[in-house]
Amino acid sequence: MTSVRTVSSILLLLLVECAARPFYPLPSRRNDRSKQPLQTFRPYNIAHRGSCGEFPEETASAYKRAIEEDADFIETDILASKDGILICFHDLTLDATTDIAQHKKFESRKRTYEVQGKNITGYFTIDFTLEELKSLRVNQRSPFRDQQYNGKFSIIIFEDFISIALGAPRVVGIYPEIKNPVFINQHVKWPIGKKFEDKFVDTLKKYGYKGTYLSKQWLKQPAFIQSFAPTSLIYISHLTDLPKILLIDDATTPTQDTNQSYWEITSNSYFDFIKDYVVGIGPWKDSIVPASNNYLQTPTDLVTRSHAYNLQVHPFIFQNDNMSLHFNFSQDPYNEYEYWIKKIGVDGLFTDFTGSLHHYQEWTNPFSMGEESASKLLDKIAYMISKFRNSYN
Amino acid sequence: MFELTAILKQPKQKSRIGAAKGRDSMASARLVPLSFLLLLVGCASRPLYPLPGKRYDGSKKPLQTFRPYNLAHRGSNGEFPEETAAAYMRAIEEGADFIEGDVLASKDGVLIMQHDVTLDDTTDIAEHKEFANRKRACNVQGTNTTGFFHFDFTLEELKSLGVKQRYPFRDQQYNRKFPIITFEEFISIALDAPRVVGIYPEIKNPAMVNQYVKWPGGKKFEDKFVETLHKYGYRGEYMSKQWLKQPAFIQSFAPTSLIYVSNLTDLPKVFLIDDITIPTQDTNQSYWEITSDKYLNFIKNYVMGIGPWKDTIVYVSENYLQLPTDLVARAHALNLQVHPYTYRNENQFLHFNFSQDPYKEYDYWINTIGVDGLFTDFTGSLHQYQEWTTPSPSGEKSATKLLDKIGSMISKYRNPQT
Repeated sequence: MTSVRTVSSILLLLLVECAARPFYPLPSRRNDRSKQPLQTFRPYNIAHRGSCGEFPEETASAYKRAIEEDADFIETDILASKDGILICFHDLTLDATTDIAQHKKFESRKRTYEVQGKNITGYFTIDFTLEELKSLRVNQRSPFRDQQYNGKFSIIIFEDFISIALGAPRVVGIYPEIKNPVFINQHVKWPIGKKFEDKFVDTLKKYGYKGTYLSKQWLKQPAFIQSFAPTSLIYISHLTDLPKILLIDDATTPTQDTNQSYWEITSNSYFDFIKDYVVGIGPWKDSIVPASNNYLQTPTDLVTRSHAYNLQVHPFIFQNDNMSLHFNFSQDPYNEYEYWIKKIGVDGLFTDFTGSLHHYQEWTNPFSMGEESASKLLDKIAYMISKFRNSYN
Repeated sequence: MFELTAILKQPKQKSRIGAAKGRDSMASARLVPLSFLLLLVGCASRPLYPLPGKRYDGSKKPLQTFRPYNLAHRGSNGEFPEETAAAYMRAIEEGADFIEGDVLASKDGVLIMQHDVTLDDTTDIAEHKEFANRKRACNVQGTNTTGFFHFDFTLEELKSLGVKQRYPFRDQQYNRKFPIITFEEFISIALDAPRVVGIYPEIKNPAMVNQYVKWPGGKKFEDKFVETLHKYGYRGEYMSKQWLKQPAFIQSFAPTSLIYVSNLTDLPKVFLIDDITIPTQDTNQSYWEITSDKYLNFIKNYVMGIGPWKDTIVYVSENYLQLPTDLVARAHALNLQVHPYTYRNENQFLHFNFSQDPYKEYDYWINTIGVDGLFTDFTGSLHQYQEWTTPSPSGEKSATKLLDKIGSMISKYRNPQT
C-alpha cells in the first residue's frame, strides 16, 4: 500500500514539476528588461494588417515583417470562428483572401447573410471551426502585389498575434479591432452568456495588457482597442482602462450598432460625449481631406476639432501603390506621408507599407536615444560640420 | 552720327531762304533713310545694361558633384507630358542636376525634342484630320512601324500639335496643353534656370534621321547637333571650369555618332546600351560585344561613361532582382561612369524587393550597386531621397539650420522617454 501511495505521490510530483514554470529565465529572454521602449515623440507607425504590402495580410509573416521594419504597433481585425475562438481576419467572408474555393469539401458552406443592411454571399468565418479555418491558406488580396507567398500561410488566432508582439526584441504595441461585433454576437455564442467584447478583453487581460494611455504599465505593453461600433467601446470601457479608438467610416456609412450618420458622430457634441470613452478617432483619410479628380481639395476641420477635444487622429489607409496615391503626390508615398504628418498633423498612420513610413520618419525626424547612439551622434555632427566648413572654401 | 550732324548743320551755315529750301529737301531725303538706319541699329543692338531679372548671374548655385547625378529623364514626365517646357521647368524646380531629352529633326531640318520617331503615342496627331494622309510605314531598326513620322512634318506643323501624357495611369490633366519644343528652346530653359542646371541631350536615331532629313552644305544630323551646342557656348571637358558653368553630356545608342562628334567637341559623351536582345543601330553589334572589356577599352577613348538599361545590370526573375552582373564593376575599373535608365515610382515598374517603395530602389542602386547617375521620371522623389540621406551643404544659410538640427538631436538624446 505504501508503494502505491509513494508511486502515486511521485507521479503527482512529477506531474507538478513538469507543469510548473521553470525558475530560470529562458536564455533568449534574459535581457527582457532592457527592451527598447516605444517611441512616443512622433506619430505612430501602425502596421495595418501587418506588412500586407509585402505579405498576405494578418499572417504571422506579415506581422513579423512589420516588426522587423520597425512598426510601433501591429494592427489586426478580430473576428470569431464557429467554436468561438478569436481569430485575426479582416473580411467576414473567406473568399477574397483565402484558398477556400479550392477546398471542395467546404462547398456546401456557402451562405448568404445580412451584414449592415446588405445581403452578402460567401463562406463566412462563423461557419467554420478553428480547425477547419486552420486548414485554409491565406492569399495576397491585391493582384498587383507580390503573389509568391500565396498558399503558404494560415490564419492565426488572437493569442498568436499577441505572442508575436510580446516576442519582439523591442517593445511593440498591439492595435486589435473589435470587428463587426453586431454580426458576431448574432451568430456566435459563448458559454455563461459572455459576449464577443468580453472574450476580447479577457484575452488581453490574460496576457497582462492594462493601463491608461502612457501609463507605466501601458508603456510596457502598449495597446489600442479600436472599433467602428461605439456601443462596444463604451461597453468595454467598464472592463479595461486601455485606450480606445473610435473608427469612422466614410460619409455614406452609418454606424453598425447605433445607426448614426457620419455627420452625427463627427459633430462637436458627439466628440464631447465620446471623449470620455476614447482617446482618439480613426477616420478614413478621404473624409478628412476630400479628393476630386484624384486631386486633394481643401482639408475639412475634422482634425482641428478632434485635437480641440484632445482626441488623437489615426487615419487609414496609406498605401504605396500608385493607384492609391492622389496626383498631388506625384506617385510618391513619401510626399503623402509628409503632407499628412506635417501639413495635417495626424497622430498616427495606418499603413500597408511599414518600412516606407519608417524610412520617412527616420530620415526627417530620426529617433536617436541612449548611449548606443552617442558616438553615432558625434559622428553625425562632425560630418555635418565638416561639410559646412568645406563649403566655405 | 557725324554725317547726321554735318547734314543738320549745313542748312544753318549757308544762306537761309531760297537756297536753304532746296538744300533742306535734299538733306531731308538723305536724313530719313539715315535716321531710319540708325533706329534699326539702335533697336537691334544688345542693351548695355543687364536684364533686371538676371542681375545676379555671377552667383548662380553651382552643379553638385559630390553625389550621383539626378537626371530628369524627359523632364519630370511622371507629372507632366514628356519633353515639354513644363516638364523641364518642373524638373528644375524639383532639384534636377541635369535635364535630359531626345533630339530628333523636323522635315525642314529643325532640331526638336521628341523621344519616339512616331507622333502617335505622345501627341494628339490622331485628332488632326489635316494630317491624316501623312501616315506611313517605315523600317525602324529592323521593325516595320506604321505611324506619323516626325520627319514628315515641318516645325510649324509639329508646333500645331499638343503633347499628351504617354501613360494612362499618370496625370492626364495637361494633355494637349503643351507643344513640342525645339532643341534651342530646351537649352534656353536650362540656361534660364536660377541655378546651374546641366543638359543631357541624346543624338536620337541618327541613322534614320540622316536618311530622311537633309541639311544644306552636306551637313549631317550630328553636325547640326553640335553646332547648336556651340551656338549657346557649351564646351569643355568633363569637370573643366567651362563645363561646370554650362554642364552637358551628349548621349547616344550609336557609337559611330559619338566617335564622329568627338572630333567636333570635347564635351563628355555617354554611350547608351539597350537591352541584351538589341544590336546597335549603326554598327549592328550585339550587347555582349559592346559590353566586353575589349570594347569598353576601345570606347573609353571617346566616352566617359555608359548608360545601360538597368535590368541588364541586375537581372530580374519573377519580378525579383537576382545577383548583379559585373558590368558596373568593369565599367568603373576602366574609369567609366554608369548612368542606368529608367527609374519610375509606379509599382508596376518596381521589383518586389523594393516593397513598392521607389526610395528603396534608389537606395539599392546608389548604395549597393554604386551608380554615378540615375535617369528618373520622378525627379522630385530622387531629389528628396538624396537630400534626406546625403544632403547638400550650402554655406552660410544652413549654419543656423545646422545648429538647430544639432540642438534637436542632443535634446532627444538627453530626454529619451520623459
